[in-house]
Amino acid sequence: MTEAAALEATPSHSPLDAAAASVLAPSRSAIDASVRPVVVGLFLTATVWLLVSTILGALAAVKLHHPGFLNFSFLSYGRLAPAAENAFVFGWCGAAALGVGAWIIARTSGRVSPGHTLAAFGAVLWNGGVLVGLVATLAGWMRPLNGLESPIAAYLLLFAGLALFSMWVLLTFHDDEHHSLAAMFIIAAFVWLGLSLLTGNLLIATNSVTGVVQQIVAAWTAGAVSRLFLVPLALGAAFYVVPKVSGAPIIAGSFARVLFWMYFLCAGLSLAAKVPGDLLPLWLGATAASASILMVVPVVALVYILFASAGASHHGSGSPSMRFTVFGCGGLILSSLLIALASLRSVDAVVRFTLFDAGIQSLLIHVSVTMVLFGAIYYMMPRLSECEWLSSSLISFHFLGTAYGSSMAVGMLLLSGLAAGGAISEGASSFQQVMEVGSSYFWGNSISYVFVMAAHAAFGLHFLLMALKIGQPAGEPTLLRAGSEH
Amino acid sequence: MSHSGIIFPGIIACFAVSLTATVIVPNAQLGSLSPEFKEEDGRVVDSYPVADVSLAARGKEVYVSQGCQSCHTQVVRGNDTADVERGWGVRKTVPRDYLFENPPVIGAGRLGPDLANVGSKSWRNEPADDPYKPEKRDAAWQMLHLYHPTAVSKLSNMPSYSFLFKTHRIAGSGDKDALKGLPKSLLPKEGFEIIPSADAKALVAYLLSLDRSHSLKEAPVVAATAPTGK
Repeated sequence: MTEAAALEATPSHSPLDAAAASVLAPSRSAIDASVRPVVVGLFLTATVWLLVSTILGALAAVKLHHPGFLNFSFLSYGRLAPAAENAFVFGWCGAAALGVGAWIIARTSGRVSPGHTLAAFGAVLWNGGVLVGLVATLAGWMRPLNGLESPIAAYLLLFAGLALFSMWVLLTFHDDEHHSLAAMFIIAAFVWLGLSLLTGNLLIATNSVTGVVQQIVAAWTAGAVSRLFLVPLALGAAFYVVPKVSGAPIIAGSFARVLFWMYFLCAGLSLAAKVPGDLLPLWLGATAASASILMVVPVVALVYILFASAGASHHGSGSPSMRFTVFGCGGLILSSLLIALASLRSVDAVVRFTLFDAGIQSLLIHVSVTMVLFGAIYYMMPRLSECEWLSSSLISFHFLGTAYGSSMAVGMLLLSGLAAGGAISEGASSFQQVMEVGSSYFWGNSISYVFVMAAHAAFGLHFLLMALKIGQPAGEPTLLRAGSEH
Repeated sequence: MSHSGIIFPGIIACFAVSLTATVIVPNAQLGSLSPEFKEEDGRVVDSYPVADVSLAARGKEVYVSQGCQSCHTQVVRGNDTADVERGWGVRKTVPRDYLFENPPVIGAGRLGPDLANVGSKSWRNEPADDPYKPEKRDAAWQMLHLYHPTAVSKLSNMPSYSFLFKTHRIAGSGDKDALKGLPKSLLPKEGFEIIPSADAKALVAYLLSLDRSHSLKEAPVVAATAPTGK
């Protein structure tokens, strides 16, 4: 067994787990066993949504250059695009995030979870919400709210599911002095999502706010799903997995806690920037733009602290979890820089309403959050299933396919947005000419889906085997080949 | 240093700051808007905007249900942009324009042109001197465009909404709403005609109702960009 392998197999060196390591606390395997059915079940549903939404997303991508392809009302681009994105955000990212969050809270709290009823109900309601949203959107029962297109019923189901699930997580949560940063991120993410899903949807559905304010509330609610639920959850997962794999504790922990609060304040004030500036009070547009720029500081500093802490150690270089997490965290930094860039008035004037925005969202969700979630799942499953991943080649294939494919899609969307934005600023051209400029990148976008679909299918298969406990014998982690060369 | 006790109150405080700045205060500002009235001799002679209760209101539901807002915005941006120059409006749009829309159909992006003023006479989607500019974009044009976009707009990337139309056998003197002016390749079989469904009619009524060119004090119509009336 290599040194790195030994560390990943027995990750007890971190002070994060000090409580769990004490004699009175239950063993790690007892904790894992107590959450296994719920967490593995959630990952299974998440993987199904990942595949479904990727197929729908690919279909929407093809329609960009072949608008007449499969021309049925329920498969029109206008319905397909939001349906695919919502299935990806809530179905894949959301369900996977619930599972990752629950497991990390149980581990950092060092407690065995008390039964599964609450969590199982919660997970079923959550998935029900995703399904209702998908079917309703394809059937045309949708709202013209960006990122919040599904009917209110879907969000009430998601909220109910989240509420039950969070109760279950809080029953395991142990509030102690050595509260880990990972747990702080995860708890904060759960609390924020619950509050904003309920507040935002009720304000809109009851017409408590009217006119443009409904769109501001929608941007605030939908934006929070990405920036105040998925991103903090990804950071929480990274702050758990990276020290475990590298075996080195987090340095500058108190400073990281300041950055934690800074992130939540800035991200919470940045969301109105998704509404076009002409429809916002001036001060709100300026506040949101400033917050978007300030948000770069905590993101970059937190990722720096994370890898500066791990950097001293050579462990974990061949760990799949580490590779996915590093890639995802790199994506987080790049996304935060692009969000800041797009919030500048002069850039906004060019790229607003083009696919540039879809490119940033894709980088944030389809690349950054998704890669960190994959990293966490690669770390967790051997512990939950008590066997190791079957094939390192399959993991490599998954990594390369997702990394190349989704980066290519992001690149194509950003370039298409820049090109179309530049052309649209020239008032003397016809809109058809604008679209011709932007559409030269649509083929590349579709081709990228071939890589992504193949990679996700490989992950789906590998995960299914793991859920059925088919893998290498426990003890020797499946490392990527590059690792053994170091 | 214990941070555990602070996590719940802390995150709720952050949430409250975000809610206050993004929702409560803006709602107090924008939620109190009212239509702009013009009075003469104590009588209201003009009011904008007006709440829509016609066929167009049903058409808005069709628009949203078909997901038109995924590719079409209804926001004319102001300074620094060419939106007005492109012919999408005679002034930028402002919150008051959307007073009676819950929610306003702002749109996700522009894979197609902005439609904030598509019902106004001056709306165009090509340079003012473009030889291919249609004479007018009336109900008949909109119907053909929905049925087969490239029949009237050669380079259009919009999908066909032919599923909002029915082909049926001509009875008597034919349906007065049947599509006219179809290119040869799209003509139905001899003795048949293509008629718009109720949804298609409502959708076109909605599109033709879209006109946000009424001058407002916070967004006056600039004379230089006023409609040429072509």
